[in-house]
Amino acid sequence: MSDLAIPTLQTEAQRERSAIGSMRLLQTACILVIALVIVSPLFMLLIASLKDDRFQILADMGSFRAFWVSNPTLSNFAEVSNLSGELAFGRYLLNSLFILGCTVGAGLIVNSMAGFVLAWGTLRGRALVLSLVIALYVIPQESIIMPLVIMVSRAGMTDTFAVQIVPWVASPLYIFLFYQFFAQLPKELLEAAEMDGASVFRTYRSIFLPLSLPALATVSILMGIETWNQYLWPILVTQTDYARPITVGIATFFGQDSIYWDRAMAASVLMMIPILALYLAFQRWFVSSFIGSAVKG
Amino acid sequence: MTLQQPALPATAVATRPARRRDRARLFQEIGMLAPAVALLTIFLAVPFLLSFWTAMTNQPLVPRPTPVRFIGLTNFLRIFKDDLFWTSLWNVSRFTFWILPVQCGLAFASALLLHQKLPLRNFFRGLFFLPAITSMVVVCVIWGTLFQYPTGPFNQVIGFLSGGRIQPIDWLGDPNWAMFSIVLLSAWQAYGFQMIVYLAGLQGIPDELYDAARIDGANAFQRFWHVTMPSLRPTHVFVLVITTIQAFKLYTQVAILTQGGPRSSTETVVHYMVRTGFEEQKLGYASAVSVILFLIVLVIALVQRQLLRRFDV
Repeated sequence: MSDLAIPTLQTEAQRERSAIGSMRLLQTACILVIALVIVSPLFMLLIASLKDDRFQILADMGSFRAFWVSNPTLSNFAEVSNLSGELAFGRYLLNSLFILGCTVGAGLIVNSMAGFVLAWGTLRGRALVLSLVIALYVIPQESIIMPLVIMVSRAGMTDTFAVQIVPWVASPLYIFLFYQFFAQLPKELLEAAEMDGASVFRTYRSIFLPLSLPALATVSILMGIETWNQYLWPILVTQTDYARPITVGIATFFGQDSIYWDRAMAASVLMMIPILALYLAFQRWFVSSFIGSAVKG
Repeated sequence: MTLQQPALPATAVATRPARRRDRARLFQEIGMLAPAVALLTIFLAVPFLLSFWTAMTNQPLVPRPTPVRFIGLTNFLRIFKDDLFWTSLWNVSRFTFWILPVQCGLAFASALLLHQKLPLRNFFRGLFFLPAITSMVVVCVIWGTLFQYPTGPFNQVIGFLSGGRIQPIDWLGDPNWAMFSIVLLSAWQAYGFQMIVYLAGLQGIPDELYDAARIDGANAFQRFWHVTMPSLRPTHVFVLVITTIQAFKLYTQVAILTQGGPRSSTETVVHYMVRTGFEEQKLGYASAVSVILFLIVLVIALVQRQLLRRFDV
């Protein structure tokens, strides 16, 4: 019996191993195909932005020339990086950067402070505040935008930077993410700080905040993407170039009869650079901590 | 979602300095909570409550000398009589029907692939998330060129593969194709988030389950079907619900690429709301649309809660 059993076991193991090997090959192939679908449009954008002739860009697009530029030029970028006048994408980009910096900076402070008090405060009614915050999360931005436009225009805030920053600083989602992160830190941290006579703010500022790099990175990326890509709100509340963000600027290309693809591509590449930098800077913490919080939420 | 209750510091016998410290503590806590509560109240709760009131008035966009009148449910009745509203609701339903399998399927497949121990796994995870950080406006620039009619890349590839037998498709200009084209570019842009949620779900499955299944002689497919799939049920619910809610809020890509056309085939609820509110300047009417949108989202969220409860999460 055992004589028979051993060979079958071996072949079984071998079969399993070769099955795993071919599975691997199939998986790698699938990953490469998806990677191609993901990357090629972005790569095409970059290449096209370096081409001078907007008709050539379209003509090249169906062939391998879409992925190759023989004489790269930065002239498209020069055309769209004005700080004023027509095609003032330099200005729009700076506007967007300013709005991004203020919103994310203020958002990190405001939401993390609230999350900390909700997790470790002694305030009565914390549970009520927390459930109200969670309830508010259901309200989509789109469904409050109509009354909000009246409110900000009555307050004389249209066409300002403040109107694009202040309303979106506090957010139920980010308060909840911070709350969840702080609540899972050990209680001993708090007790030790209290023993040393540290105040609540001090405990938050010097003990809990330095430990919450993953949460800060996650909120920075999520809030950054959200702020950077705002489109509906700015078209409703900006009328001039003064505070217009780059999303609205790029969208104006589509209003014309004949689209200047070369310029649109260059402006798009400009728009991708800052958010890509933010993503690469925080990506290390982002995926793991977002993974930790997503499903529980 | 359980609220952790950290125990009060063990100062049962409250001395006077301790009481003073408690009061200072209370003020600090209120001070730390106040900015968030104030901002959420002013910019979320108040406009939300206002939208119910505005929805029952004839509020115009630009203030007029005639006072704003309370008109009850008239706006809602008008909306329900407007064919274009029903078209927009039908369109977002069609969009949802297509985007769920395409986007969630792609996300699930990518997550399964990237959950394996493969070389460069983290590099690919970062790479697959790139479209999700790409602004929808930029995505519209890219896909706008891909969809060009009649000589854009997609049409050239189709023409080449079919030997010229298939006529070029007017992706964004043909009412039969426009919504499907919007689905393709939307799925490409947004699937990265769902992929990460699926990766999280996969990581949460304990290895012991797979070991036990292996000992019982389950092959790879059986392990997938009897261990992975049941364990991911809450994740599936979460992903499907989030995607559905996103789908009902469809706006930017449609506003930029098709403006709801051709022949209203890509008109969506939010686009309809913005159009009535800002082009036709009927803010009260548009607020009524926004209330309806909120109720739709609320129903979807409640369905999610029920489903998750059934799975004991």
